[in-house]
Amino acid sequence: MRVLLRVLAPLLGIVLAAGAVLVVIEVVAAWVLADAEGGLLVPWRDWSVTLANLSWNENPVPGIAIGVGVVGLLLIIVGLAARRGDVRLEAPAMDMTVTTSPRVLARLVGTRVRAADDVLSASVTASARRIAVHALVWQDAPLDQREVIVGRISELLDELPLRRRPRVTVSVRKQEGLR
Amino acid sequence: MSPDLPESHPNRPTARPTDARLRRRSRSAVARSAAGDRWLLVLIGLVLLAVGVGVTLLSYGVFDTSRAARPLLDPIIVVAVASNLMLWRAIAIVGGIVLAVLGLVWVARSMRPEPRPDVVLDGGPNTTILVSSGAAAEAVATQVGTLAGVARAKARLVGSTAAPALRVTLWLTDDAEVRGVLRRLDEEVLATVCSALDLSALPAGVRLAVERPQPAPRVA
Repeated sequence: MRVLLRVLAPLLGIVLAAGAVLVVIEVVAAWVLADAEGGLLVPWRDWSVTLANLSWNENPVPGIAIGVGVVGLLLIIVGLAARRGDVRLEAPAMDMTVTTSPRVLARLVGTRVRAADDVLSASVTASARRIAVHALVWQDAPLDQREVIVGRISELLDELPLRRRPRVTVSVRKQEGLR
Repeated sequence: MSPDLPESHPNRPTARPTDARLRRRSRSAVARSAAGDRWLLVLIGLVLLAVGVGVTLLSYGVFDTSRAARPLLDPIIVVAVASNLMLWRAIAIVGGIVLAVLGLVWVARSMRPEPRPDVVLDGGPNTTILVSSGAAAEAVATQVGTLAGVARAKARLVGSTAAPALRVTLWLTDDAEVRGVLRRLDEEVLATVCSALDLSALPAGVRLAVERPQPAPRVA
């Protein structure tokens, strides 16, 4: 989303500026060259005839309006979703801010969980608020695997000076077959 | 200096900007802010959404079916504009110029690379010493890279010449003790940098990452 924002922001700025310049040019041209036929760059006289003959309830109008609304909604979504999802850590000094990315936190958790003997594989999603682990354990693993994994994760979270301790959810699935 | 500040900065001068300001500077040093871009995007999105919804409702006759049957370029509006032509010309020209300038400023702001402030040292009455941003950042990165638990480090100066800040990215090794690394970064590296660059304070935004383990050689 952040990449999209970096692309969209200058693009929209250019569109805005270009549209505004066209309006100024056309208004000045229509004013100074009063007897000229049609527009200088934009055929706005033809457009105004078309618009004068088209009523609000005729066909392309609602479709275009819905399209404009959808584009607006997409821009809002991009703008709101492009925030940084950083995970804050406690800093040792006032003038220091320490962050890490959710991806790094997920990798740390994943490495710690996969290091357990009975865990075959694990997928981790992490944010500053929540860590979710889906682990696949061997069939013959002890029954309390979930507690073991939760314990390993809280050990890791104790070591990391996270500003806010995320909620941990672990789900365990057993692998069929022998080791 | 506030009493609750850890007493771990023997090298730092005592005249410091307020803590709240330092904290804010360190927070904005973590990454380049995209807040302006985001809010403009949301604003334009809201305008487009409002226009889209309004016109859709109008064209489906929610307000009034006779209104929906009127032409887009309504003769009432044409007459109103024609009766006060100079005013509308002025509004269109001024509005157009304002929007064009705003659009160009927006483009320039979001395309401009993030500034890298140089540090100016006072070398006496007729001398100023300029430490280039790259040199200072490289020195910091080299020093941070020597800390135990840090595999590699990247640093750059951000902010303005009047209020520089440091952005440090650390790649930690697997066995790194995060609290210890951060404490040593603050006490050993940043304190030294502050006194070397003759700065009263150098807020730092630190980004932590984990060094990817080197793949084991396939052939022993």
